[in-house]
Amino acid sequence: MRNEIELEAIIEDYLNGKLTADEQKAFEQLRNNDPIVDHKVVAHKVFLESMKQYADVLLLKQQLDAAHDKIDVAAISAKVGPHPSKIVRLFRNNKSAIAVAASFLILAMIMLYSIQSQTKQEGNMELLAGKVSELKGSQDNIIRTINNNPRNRATESLPAKFGGTGFAISSNGYILTSYHVINGKGSISVQNSKGEIFKVVRYYTDPINDIAILKISDAAFENLGALPYSIKKGSAGIGDAVYTLGYPKDDVVLGDGYVSSKTGLNGDTIAYQVAIPVNPGNSGGPLLDNSGNIVGVINGKESKTDGAAFAVKSKYIMEALNAIPQDSLSRRVAYGKRSSLQGLKRNKQVQKIQDYVFMIKVY
Amino acid sequence: MSFKLNSSVPTDREVVLGILNNSEEALNKLYAGYYPMVLQFILNNNGDEDDAKDVYQEAIIVLYNKIKTGNFELSSKLKTYIYSVSRRIWLKKLAQHSKKTNNIADFEGVLVVDEDVEQREQKDLQFDKMKVALESLGEPCKTIIQDFYINSLSMQDICEKFGYTNTDNAKTQKYKCLQRLKKLFFQS
Repeated sequence: MRNEIELEAIIEDYLNGKLTADEQKAFEQLRNNDPIVDHKVVAHKVFLESMKQYADVLLLKQQLDAAHDKIDVAAISAKVGPHPSKIVRLFRNNKSAIAVAASFLILAMIMLYSIQSQTKQEGNMELLAGKVSELKGSQDNIIRTINNNPRNRATESLPAKFGGTGFAISSNGYILTSYHVINGKGSISVQNSKGEIFKVVRYYTDPINDIAILKISDAAFENLGALPYSIKKGSAGIGDAVYTLGYPKDDVVLGDGYVSSKTGLNGDTIAYQVAIPVNPGNSGGPLLDNSGNIVGVINGKESKTDGAAFAVKSKYIMEALNAIPQDSLSRRVAYGKRSSLQGLKRNKQVQKIQDYVFMIKVY
Repeated sequence: MSFKLNSSVPTDREVVLGILNNSEEALNKLYAGYYPMVLQFILNNNGDEDDAKDVYQEAIIVLYNKIKTGNFELSSKLKTYIYSVSRRIWLKKLAQHSKKTNNIADFEGVLVVDEDVEQREQKDLQFDKMKVALESLGEPCKTIIQDFYINSLSMQDICEKFGYTNTDNAKTQKYKCLQRLKKLFFQS
């Protein structure tokens, strides 16, 4: 019994580091030799640690209780507790939900308002679109009024009144453009990228789809050779990168963008909406995708929205092509075939195409 | 919520340093600083003031131990941490008493503190075990053990306090008490 008590005391001193170096050495020897003593040491260590933790937490809890007693709980709980009124409580508890609901409401109102104002805009647009056939003064259709073109004077006594763009659909001088460009009484000529001017006649018109085909009737015209582009079968998707070549000025201009909607103005299924910068004079220009396929013909833009142009879908180009006698077209543009431009970089494509894109001049 | 914590809230740094230096004042400030926040949370989620006290003290202990072990990094605000721990503890308690736990009304952002809370629960089990063992020890053993191990009295003091004729008798008594306590503690 006495020995046990002594042993326990030594173990405790050992664990608390109170033994002298010699005693510690002797005790470790004993511990090594006697597994029972060793076990007692381990067990007592666990116990002491638990006891220490217990003591620590107990002390901490006492401190916390003391801190708690200093607080006026009733006063704070009256302040922060649930409000006796149900409505106030409902509001407090659902503050975030109410905030979300309110912002939705505001958002919805803003959207409603903007939609309304947009419809107003589109109403304006429709009116303008109605003027397509009138040609004159139409902002919507991108026909350029040409003033005093000096190059003109060499061949024509009168300056051209309106301009547009067109592109070859066969190697023997058939050129496709927008109907609204050539609608009118005046004579028409086309000018290629080298500045050569040829007289043309109206060959086929499709006012509904806003497409017209011209035929070069000039004796000076030479065969164009094989067309580099083909016409796309099927429709283009939203986001497809597209570009157009046109004559908003006397030199050919490249416009770059993407298909932004599968329908045109007011959901018009004949046309795509394309985000592409176009200007008066771009009407009738080819809209090509990156593989060199013609996906449409530029024919207008929205007057009040930036970057919203419209292009008649390639399907209607084909309808126009199929409506004219096939034997009159020599080496006509391919349909749904792999274009020879495929895989070429944009600048190479443009180089190859520009000889087939013409400025249309109406006098 | 319209309620704002009063201006006596200590800075996070102040609290961490205070706890590391065993400053009681820092602990008191910390306690008083965030109590209203937890009280608000508990009162608005099916609890009363006593629940708030229990939960809040548990949360403070979790924080205290985390700071003491050096594991605490000031990656979040103390306020958020205390709130998250209190919230977790309260949700567990609600679930234990199968009170309804849907629609918890929150007043702060919440961190994931499951690990810290679970660690604390483990330690709390140990604490309860020791408490139960001590309680069932009976007098005078309980007081002798507490005086020696918790209040750090010497055997001489204990001998005088209890009126043992000599320290050897006191030591024998303490030894017997300790054997019984160990048995109770390790067996439970």
